[in-house]
Amino acid sequence: MNEYDIVIVGAGPGGSTAAKEAAEKGLKTIFFERGRKPGNKNSSGTGLGPRLWREFDFMKEINSDDCPSIREGRAARNYMIDNDGKVTGYIMTTPTASVEYEPAKSWITLNCYRSDFDPWLAKYATDAGAELKTSTLITGLLKEDGKVVGVIDEKGEKYRGLVIGADGAVSMVAQQSGLRKRWGQKQVTLTLQYDFECSASKIDDVMGDEALAVWWSATFPAAYQVFFNSSFHIGLGNWMTWWDKNPVHYLNKVINLDYMQRLIRVLEAKPREFQAHLLPWMGTPENTHTDNVILIGDAGGFPCPLEAEGIYPAMVTARAAIDAAAEAISAGDTSKDFLSIYDMKWKATSVGEDFKSGPELQSIWMALPFSPRKSMSWFVPMFMEILGGIIDWSEPHPVRIRQIARSLKKYLPQAVPFIMQEVLPLLTSVLGEEKMEMLTDPAKLMAEMPEIQEAMMQAFMDAPKEED
Amino acid sequence: MKIDHRKLQSRIPGTGDFIKIDNSRCTQCDRCLVICVMNLWKKRGDTVYIVDDYTSHCLECGACAQVCESDAIEFRFPAGGTGIVIEQG
Ligand SMILES: Cc1cc2nc3c(=O)[nH]c(=O)nc-3n(C[C@H](O)[C@H](O)[C@H](O)COP(=O)(O)OP(=O)(O)OC[C@H]3O[C@@H](n4cnc5c(N)ncnc54)[C@H](O)[C@@H]3O)c2cc1C
Ligand code: SF4
Ligand code: SF4
Repeated sequence: MNEYDIVIVGAGPGGSTAAKEAAEKGLKTIFFERGRKPGNKNSSGTGLGPRLWREFDFMKEINSDDCPSIREGRAARNYMIDNDGKVTGYIMTTPTASVEYEPAKSWITLNCYRSDFDPWLAKYATDAGAELKTSTLITGLLKEDGKVVGVIDEKGEKYRGLVIGADGAVSMVAQQSGLRKRWGQKQVTLTLQYDFECSASKIDDVMGDEALAVWWSATFPAAYQVFFNSSFHIGLGNWMTWWDKNPVHYLNKVINLDYMQRLIRVLEAKPREFQAHLLPWMGTPENTHTDNVILIGDAGGFPCPLEAEGIYPAMVTARAAIDAAAEAISAGDTSKDFLSIYDMKWKATSVGEDFKSGPELQSIWMALPFSPRKSMSWFVPMFMEILGGIIDWSEPHPVRIRQIARSLKKYLPQAVPFIMQEVLPLLTSVLGEEKMEMLTDPAKLMAEMPEIQEAMMQAFMDAPKEED
Repeated sequence: MKIDHRKLQSRIPGTGDFIKIDNSRCTQCDRCLVICVMNLWKKRGDTVYIVDDYTSHCLECGACAQVCESDAIEFRFPAGGTGIVIEQG
């Protein structure tokens, strides 16, 4: 029998962070990876956001020597695709004036392949003294008197210790500890993507500092494009309840947009790899721990409820889990009851903050970009009418404005229920009942803002009558 | 642009069998047939099955077992150090 304090299944971002934190606390730690090296089994867009740098100091050390796929950027492009599969417009965005965290004013994401990132991160754990066993599949949980006391590998080797399930979306630890048989079909998405290779200088020339693109569409669920040093990913996903045809059918729709084909031609890009992976995506993570077991990252359902960013939550929940585990070990009590401090800990982090509005965030996303036929079919033309309507020189401008207004009116039967069912609950959850009441009651709103009241009075009420 | 996505992977052989179907539980809902991006699930008459050479195509995504609400599909990962290698994930 091999005795450890902490036994971690999985060497993804969650597992490696947990291993690093545990080893640094002086806990005897081992972590297992079924791939020949960390990152071998992982597929991701791998956009790494500034939150990671705020939370984890060592992120400052990431560099292109260790991770040659790195590309960072300060801009994102948003394409709008209509019912006929045409790009009807796009907007490029950069960090706006309201961004407060200084470094985030100059970049939005650093993109890096998991085949670079995961081994890079795992090294921090082994350097801290954690033991890594690769090419090792953990096949079962070791139980005594019905309670989990460790894990068993495919060769029957046993390892005792507090078990951290960092084994991703298809989690053996979650299954065998009785925390979950499988996800609900609305708790997990299937996400598939192509990797295209092309030259770095072409991307520099064509995309500049745009590191990301989102393809918002009425004919397929929102697709993303992530640029790396000399390649890019194009992918999309949706909840298991949505697929009526093979998912590849929808991904190929993205690839075969005239606009995408043009982009592929100018970038001289070639498809190189095709990947598919489950990605948990839910409003509220539940059943996160039991006796002697804690689930972190994807295994626990922690990707962000709005856009399923999952690497940061995996690393943050890893830290919370090891804090909880260390307290449990020193108290000599690793029962489910004691380990409920884990929930308190992750809820106190910025991941917990996201999940406070989790159900509303997930719901609005599911209802809009991931319901192309139902919602994007009216949203895209409505949005483009607002954005692009005025760019027309066939009519006098007042006539155009009336035309646009009439056209927008047409979308109200779909837009109003959407606002009532999705937008208002989200705003209420984020702003609180009191502020919402103010927003929806014009008298209260005016009373709060004397300057606006003054201006409105002057503009409308005190204005001289128009001459006949 | 036609891409043969089924050819764009690297693999290490030696996985052994890792997916099984229990036809007595299968309700022929066809969900596994729709979801598998590699088209490895097939139906002959009223029998659903996985193709013989699935180990040389499967992406180990687990989607088939996830959508099978009747517990007819048993999925586990292949032996450590074998199976799909994602080089540009
Ligand atoms: C296509 C796609 C795009 C994404 N894009 C982004 C993005 O841009 N930004 C972002 O932040 N997140 C993104 N995500 C989400 C992100 O990839 C995950 O949330 C993240 O990988 C979770 O980390 P983890 O450590 O919890 O699990 P994983 O990364 O899944 O790691 C689990 C590890 O455990 C190993 N393992 C599993 N079972 C066993 C076992 N029984 N024995 C031994 N080893 C085992 C696996 O091989 C794996 O290495 C994306 C996901 C997908 C699928
Ligand atoms: S998903 Fe399950 S029940 Fe449905 S056809 Fe496939 S094996 Fe049968
Ligand atoms: S694991 Fe994925 S690729 Fe393999 S058979 Fe199941 S659905 Fe198809």
